Amino acid sequence: MSARLAGTAALLVALAAAPAAGQQAPAGKAIYEKWCAGCHGSDGKGDGPAASTMLPRPRDFTRALFKVRTTSSGSVPTDADLRHVIDDGMPGSAMPGWTDVLSESDRDALVQYIKTFSTAFQQKPDVVAFSKAPPENAAAIEDGRRTYEKLECFKCHGRAARGDGPSASTQEDDSHFPIRPANLEENWRFRGGGSVEDIYRRLRTGLDGTPMPSFNDMLAAKVVTDEQLWHVAQYVRSLSPKEPPEPPEVIRARLVEGRLPTSPDDSAWNVAERAYIPLVGQVIIKPRWFSPAVDAVWVQALHNGRDLAIRLVWDDRSRSPDPRWSEWQRRVTEVMGPKEDSAAAPAAATSGTSGSDAAPPAPADRASPAGATPAVPALGDAFAVQFPREIPQGMERPYFLMGDARNPVYLWYWRSDAPAAVEATARGLANITPIPGPSTLRSQAVFDRGQWRLVLTRPLAAPGGGDRLTLVQGEAIPIAFFAWDGSNGESGTKGAVSAWYHVYLDEPTPKTVYTTPIATAALTAGFGILVVARAQRREKQGGSKGD
Amino acid sequence: MKSRLSHPFVQALLILAVAYLLFRFGIAYIPPLLGVKSAPVPHTVLLQYMLTVAVGVLLYVSATEDRWRAFKAPIQRVLVDPSQRLYRLALLVTVPLLAGFITYRQVRPSVEAPPNLRSIHPAPPSTITFRGKTMTLAGLENPLRKEGNLRDHVEEGRRVYYQNCVACHGDQLNGKGHFAHGFNPPPADFTDNGTIPQLTESFVFWRIAKGGRGLPKEGTPWNSAMPAWEDFLTEREIWAVIIFLYDQTGWTPRTWDTAEGGAR
Ligand code: HEC
Ligand code: HEC
Ligand code: HEC
Repeated sequence: MSARLAGTAALLVALAAAPAAGQQAPAGKAIYEKWCAGCHGSDGKGDGPAASTMLPRPRDFTRALFKVRTTSSGSVPTDADLRHVIDDGMPGSAMPGWTDVLSESDRDALVQYIKTFSTAFQQKPDVVAFSKAPPENAAAIEDGRRTYEKLECFKCHGRAARGDGPSASTQEDDSHFPIRPANLEENWRFRGGGSVEDIYRRLRTGLDGTPMPSFNDMLAAKVVTDEQLWHVAQYVRSLSPKEPPEPPEVIRARLVEGRLPTSPDDSAWNVAERAYIPLVGQVIIKPRWFSPAVDAVWVQALHNGRDLAIRLVWDDRSRSPDPRWSEWQRRVTEVMGPKEDSAAAPAAATSGTSGSDAAPPAPADRASPAGATPAVPALGDAFAVQFPREIPQGMERPYFLMGDARNPVYLWYWRSDAPAAVEATARGLANITPIPGPSTLRSQAVFDRGQWRLVLTRPLAAPGGGDRLTLVQGEAIPIAFFAWDGSNGESGTKGAVSAWYHVYLDEPTPKTVYTTPIATAALTAGFGILVVARAQRREKQGGSKGD
Repeated sequence: MKSRLSHPFVQALLILAVAYLLFRFGIAYIPPLLGVKSAPVPHTVLLQYMLTVAVGVLLYVSATEDRWRAFKAPIQRVLVDPSQRLYRLALLVTVPLLAGFITYRQVRPSVEAPPNLRSIHPAPPSTITFRGKTMTLAGLENPLRKEGNLRDHVEEGRRVYYQNCVACHGDQLNGKGHFAHGFNPPPADFTDNGTIPQLTESFVFWRIAKGGRGLPKEGTPWNSAMPAWEDFLTEREIWAVIIFLYDQTGWTPRTWDTAEGGAR
């Protein structure tokens, strides 16, 4: 009894001795060093060892510019704002959410610690008073669309809101790193969250440190009403799917009668399921690429028993090559440039700094007067659909990054600067050789406001033979995808890649699919009747015998 | 109530129902309550288990003559008793329909990906060549553990990890880096007790040096995005990043003498 009392007393003393909020910094420091410094740097300057592999770069806390706030533009965020980003992370960037790893008190301690990096936090945050969302309906969304035009969001975000506006190629953040206006069709990648309310708040507060402005001034000047800003947010939200898309394991090619659509904008595509395939940077083989411009491709497939048509839709801010984007290309190549030489044989002796270069190139050097900016190569956009050369019988297939010398892959390879897609063999990443001779592969592409839409069609049988895969109905055929945006400096091993998926060509449903179950049911019924009849006959006989 | 429960037919049904629930859901959901990872039982395995239980139940109900008769009685009644006519008819209709439906599910064309059975920790080779140097894996220890200051090695490993591994394995070492969603199989989750705590540092060295492509066939080397780090890192950097992996997660490596590891 007394022991328990003593224990309680000790606990109380310990609690009382716990540091008050303002003195939590040292506790935060240890956690920061362990979990945050690798990206944000020990001094909070956003220059940790990982920084040069990321765009957007990790935040430099000494500048005290934060994107996700509930405070007016230029003001520091509230503690709750900082906790919110630490909890939920910043989608579409390398910044993860921390609820799984760190306790609530640890996360609070980090908030306090981050504030020690800048004296700006001596000022009080200027919290914006947000209104409540008006009802959402077709008229509201239409008003939002008009307001989007009126406020000239399209200058950066583009007419179709895919982040491809006329000034998109010249955007840079306050530290002079190139920055892409958000693709508003992908709300699951918004830094501050994708809900109507999140978007409205970003419109009111802006994303400090980026060109994305706050529209509070416009509100004050009565250029736009608060309700209209809500409508813009509702409109922007309506551009993305209801739920973030998930990739399927199997892309289904439906069997259709007659002619297949060859044009990317044929309405016949509406009947085909859309599969979302995420693409990520090629960070496996030298030279690596950490900042791919294409983050996903939407794949549809149809076949008619003779031909297979695949429609590929991916967002790309530029139709490359495009001289308006060469400055962007130069800058991205400079700050994200491959961390190793393409010719690099194993960098045997270089220890210490192999892997990645340590310090990010100083953005200020960009303005160095040292003469002409180096010309960038004019690179086209490109896309590759990868198959094995034969449908594998077991599990084994070619290496997912375009096979190797022993087990090559078969590609449909399209370039924006070539007249048509070609069939090719690849023996390792970017080691692509077109298959000689006449080809039955057909392609048609359109570029439309920040989006490529490409249809590739080929007969199921492969008349040319060689490395060409014969497509078969009713089997899961391995398939993978690669995309390159020339204006982002992408070609060769520098691009976006996917894992192996499967495409499945529906078979005409065989009659046995219906007859077998009916036969089973009939047999079972017959057997049941037999059992009952037998049992009843026995019962009668037994009864008459007086068992 | 009690008498009903002691009826062999009811007992048999109960046993079958409880067994089904246990196999179907219990195996997947009960171990996690105790902090052990688990997964649902595949259908074919479930069928096998249920058949075993059914045989057991049959043996039980037929063990004594009395019990066997009591067990058969309700079946017999449904088959012959005039008062059970409706039951009989209902069963004669629903059972065949069910059989037909199950057959349909079996024969209809399925659009599933072929199963991808992958051995996560296949046997390592006995020796590897690392940049021209032959290394014997059995008994190989992390040389940095006996040399210099451990904290320095952790910091060196931290640099290597953040420059090269975060995009896939994540800064939380949980396999959820910002590029992880593009790969299948997913990058290893080092916070899971099924990964590095089960492994010796020499095994981890082999995996990092040779990457996914260095796996034997049962490891599906053609699917793994794990790079072969011998192309990027020095031997020392790899030993350092291994020290960092264990330090940051709090696991200990499996050792050669005790074959034990894992304690956090
Ligand atoms: C894997 C690298 C990485 C790690 C580790 C990391 N961050 Fe970040 N963090 C980023 C990046 C990248 C950004 C910038 C994202 C952007 O600007 O869109 C960022 C931004 C932030 C911001 C700015 C939020 C805003 O509104 O602008 C805060 C605060 C932050 N991180 C806190 C933390 C804390 C606290 C930790 C440790 C628990 C941490 N980060 C760990 C990469 C990281
Ligand atoms: C001067 C160029 C510019 C203008 C004008 C502009 N934006 Fe942006 N916007 C950007 C940039 C750049 C980003 C990306 C910021 C980042 O990645 O952190 C962005 C990001 C966004 C986001 C994503 C927010 C998040 O949480 O990541 C939304 C939504 C958005 N803008 C909507 C709009 C709307 C609506 C308008 C017009 C009312 C508009 N923008 C006007 C440049 C602009
Ligand atoms: C491009 C993504 C990628 C990068 C970058 C990457 N890995 Fe991996 N890693 C994987 C994948 C995927 C797996 C799981 C498949 C496998 O075992 O090969 C894996 C598995 C592993 C394993 C095996 C774990 C086990 O339980 O068998 C180790 C160890 C490992 N990685 C360490 C590292 C280290 C250290 C780095 C940085 C130097 C690194 N990885 C960088 C993708 C990556």
